[in-house]
Amino acid sequence: MLFLNGPTDDSGHEEPGHPERPDRITAVKAGVDDLHLGSDLVIVPQYSATRAQLSRVHEGTYLDQLGVFCYEGGGDIDEDTYATYDSWSIAQYAAGGGLAVIDALRRYNDGVGFIAARPPGHHALRDRAMGFCLLNNVAVAAASLTSEGERVLIVDWDVHHGNGTQAIFWNDPNVLYVSTHEWPLFPGSGIAQEVGGTNALGLTVNLPLPPGATGDIVRRALDEVAAPVIDAFEPTWVLVSAGFDAHRADPMADLALSSGDFAALARTVAGFAPGPGRLALFLEGGYDLGALRSSVAATLSTLLGSSYQPKSATTGGPGGDMVNRMRDERLVALRQAQEVASSEEPSR
Amino acid sequence: MTALRTIAVGFDGSPDADTAARWAFELAVQVDAEVILVHAVGLIEHTKRQSVVAVLEDSVRTLIDEGGIEPPRVRLHVADGDACSVLLRATDAPINADLLVVGSRGQGAHAGMLLGSTSLELAEHSTIPLVIVPATRDPE
Ligand SMILES: [Zn+2]
Repeated sequence: MLFLNGPTDDSGHEEPGHPERPDRITAVKAGVDDLHLGSDLVIVPQYSATRAQLSRVHEGTYLDQLGVFCYEGGGDIDEDTYATYDSWSIAQYAAGGGLAVIDALRRYNDGVGFIAARPPGHHALRDRAMGFCLLNNVAVAAASLTSEGERVLIVDWDVHHGNGTQAIFWNDPNVLYVSTHEWPLFPGSGIAQEVGGTNALGLTVNLPLPPGATGDIVRRALDEVAAPVIDAFEPTWVLVSAGFDAHRADPMADLALSSGDFAALARTVAGFAPGPGRLALFLEGGYDLGALRSSVAATLSTLLGSSYQPKSATTGGPGGDMVNRMRDERLVALRQAQEVASSEEPSR
Repeated sequence: MTALRTIAVGFDGSPDADTAARWAFELAVQVDAEVILVHAVGLIEHTKRQSVVAVLEDSVRTLIDEGGIEPPRVRLHVADGDACSVLLRATDAPINADLLVVGSRGQGAHAGMLLGSTSLELAEHSTIPLVIVPATRDPE
């Protein structure tokens, strides 16, 4: 069963010529329709995140600034990021989507959630919009879960590093953040040596991949470097920052994945969930509409067991040698950070 | 105080960034330092990276010609990332900057708009001194 949440009208968050545009949601919905889910599709109504829910991951002054900026008509926030008059309310719905879907999953104790909303969220910091993102949607959901005692794994397979999500949970022992991404690429963070803050050492796992990397390398990085950390963490929920801009057709980056690779990634990630009804995916990037549609269909069909046939998974790209290096660099950085942390502990 | 050897300038080819670069050139000549013009490639710019870099290289040449600084003392450094993080990283290798210089608007400093204010962010997080060079006013 698919619990799908998305905007009823996101046309107000648009800037002419900008790649983060309402057509993306149309493409995603077409990808869902391609699966012909019938009664297995449950539409989860829009829900606007409250200030209290947003404040778990954003500073109040930032929420005020963003709200006022939109109210006054919006404009460009930086080279990449814009907001309009309508963006504030559309972003609140995007940030509330995860909360509504988690509610539904809990009630049914079964199925998979998909928040097909925009603007995306994983670059948004506590106090700053960036990289097309205004509010950090996946972080709002994760913080709500941890406030109820859950242990949350966030897997971020968007081609860009989710610097906002990483920063928000840097020192949080109840959130494990795992990201596969092209590097070097915007936002510039996400090297393997970033392993988490003193209270959460080892709970940030970065898997940076070179341009041209194929799906087999992404899966190897997840299986060989991240999986042991995930097993030890024992998450009670799995949230996915599901960007589809690592697809080979995407204009924003240079990885070489096919829709079949997203199917394989979905299988891997579903294996991390502790049981049914504990997995929710959040749309992040993905800017080629055809690739977005087929990748969404491939991902969801794997999770729901439908008969949709995606393109073959890809192999043979560069980066195989980097998987071992990532693990080694990460372990060295972790050991150093642990030594620093223990030397800073009071001796009494 | 350590000697000023390397000055990093936030550089996006905007008039304000040019003003900041000219100011940094003058200082570099006075104190015998090197200037690294640092350009951050954003999400959208990545899709047209080559042409962006070509344009920046042109404007660097023009600035050097006008600025009375020896060409070997000026370098362009292009890195993927948001302007703020890329500039904050200028303190590390390979740049190892001792001073950060940004214009009052444009990449590296969206002054006047609190939301995207990289200059505020830099002021808060920079571990080396930061100079914000005001925009040149139109002659009255
Ligand atoms: Zn992305």
